[in-house]
Amino acid sequence: MAKRKTWTILALLVITSLAWLAFVKPEHDRQKAQTETGIEASAALPQYQPDNQTEEGFLAGLRQFWAFTGFRNVTSGHLIMILVGLIFIYLAIRYEYEPLLLVPIGTGILIGNIPIFSDGGMNLQVGIYQQGSVLNYLYFGVLKGVYPPLIFLGIGAMTDFSSLISNPRLLLLGAAAQVGIFITFIGALLLGFAPPEAGAIGIIGGADGPTAIFISSRLANGMNLLADGTPVKNLIGPIAIAAYSYMALVPVIQPPIMRLLTNRKERLIRMKPPRAVTKTEKILFPIFGLLLTCFISPSALPLLGMLFFGNILKESGVTKRLAETARTSLIDIVNIMIGLTVGASTQADVFLTKESILIFALGAAAFAIATTAGVLFAKTMNIFLPEGDKINPLIGNSGVSAVPDSARVSEVEGLKADKTNHLLMHAMGPNVAGVIGSAIAAGIMLSYLG
Amino acid sequence: MHTLLLAGAAAGLDPLAWTIVVVGISIVFLSLLVVYFFFRYILTYILNFKLKSFARKKGIDPAEAQTARTIQSGEVNAAIAMALYQYFNELHDVESGVITIKRVSRNYSPWSSKLYNMNNL
Repeated sequence: MAKRKTWTILALLVITSLAWLAFVKPEHDRQKAQTETGIEASAALPQYQPDNQTEEGFLAGLRQFWAFTGFRNVTSGHLIMILVGLIFIYLAIRYEYEPLLLVPIGTGILIGNIPIFSDGGMNLQVGIYQQGSVLNYLYFGVLKGVYPPLIFLGIGAMTDFSSLISNPRLLLLGAAAQVGIFITFIGALLLGFAPPEAGAIGIIGGADGPTAIFISSRLANGMNLLADGTPVKNLIGPIAIAAYSYMALVPVIQPPIMRLLTNRKERLIRMKPPRAVTKTEKILFPIFGLLLTCFISPSALPLLGMLFFGNILKESGVTKRLAETARTSLIDIVNIMIGLTVGASTQADVFLTKESILIFALGAAAFAIATTAGVLFAKTMNIFLPEGDKINPLIGNSGVSAVPDSARVSEVEGLKADKTNHLLMHAMGPNVAGVIGSAIAAGIMLSYLG
Repeated sequence: MHTLLLAGAAAGLDPLAWTIVVVGISIVFLSLLVVYFFFRYILTYILNFKLKSFARKKGIDPAEAQTARTIQSGEVNAAIAMALYQYFNELHDVESGVITIKRVSRNYSPWSSKLYNMNNL
């Protein structure tokens, strides 16, 4: 089953790459050549002429209707993206692969790639990039970074920090996995991305969709200007799609790395059961967590502030209705908005570029590096820890903040080594620490490059 | 060859990039280390101090006070166990689907008697 899923995903990637090379690139080159020779691409197409009296009325009406249909304006890029959207929906329904994300994103891809008449820069106020359209208004929440903090509020209201409070040293695993963000940042710079774009791409290594969208909306939004006056590229769509795709692929990417870096003896390590945590500790954790982390990295305030606020709502015990709303209705509404608009923002002309393929490659590397860093750091900690109090390195992968998927991977891998060794509770510690760590890393990127 | 090229390119990177990497990793570790130290040492100290004063006030051993605070009483556990048992064992969501209304054998019943019809009142 897992193999079948892996092959389906790989087939998707290969088809997209081949289709890009076969259809989009030649067309892109042709349009580029036309522009260079002074011929506008739209000049060759029939133009909308409302006052054309020479045509017969009926025929002119038909011609006008045809000019506005999707069939007249479709390009191979649109078709490829529609195919990608359909595959996302198929994966979600057939394999129940992150359906809450893939169905809105897949449908969004379909919506965003309906070909729209835009000759001569005409704005029909329909497409996501056309000012005044409903989709454009909804996309505002992505562009201005409104949705991600609201998702963090919901995450905070559903997260139990008990395992982290009972064993706070697991926080360090959450920090170690963030190395992936910074190494990917260097990798993106080496591949020729501008520093703000590289910063946004690096955040994919945090394995956190909302954080990746938040940072790319601030750093790689197509509007900010670089030092030389050129605008940064709009990479929100590719970064968001890469982050969410790899989050869905955590059960495929992480296990081979974990097995490669650990030996059987290490995989059999049993960790001490977590101690009981008092209500006072649970209430104090979000309060002091907020104060301590945000005083050190204030740029992470929109994300961490909302995360800890959500957790205070949950743990205070006196705002049950608010906590319930934040973790159910509110997060669901925002998920619908963010999934749909991010999907729709992958319009073929914006998404099918060389940069998108590089971002996907860098994203895969980022996940692998983050997992490696987490596992190796757990092994390093074991050198200094006394016998009987060691950490099972299989929970190191959970330092990436794909909650709770990576913790589930730790549990499954632990059970493969020993059927009675449950690691889920222990793995949730670094997992939620990873959420905090990636938000801090995002704040640092913003403070330097924003 | 390729590695050498990458190494050369890395050497030519803006020094700010390396600053971001070094400062970034340090700050992430520092932030979480501060939280670690707070919860591992400072909060534990404060809670232990509170616990000791609570135990002193009640005149009991601090270990007992800890148990009294964190472990539910036997009655509470029994009530939870009973509720769970009732929930899981006494559910009857799935009905047999057999209609059990029996046909009445006698022909006359006051319920269908014309004598008691509303029109005759």
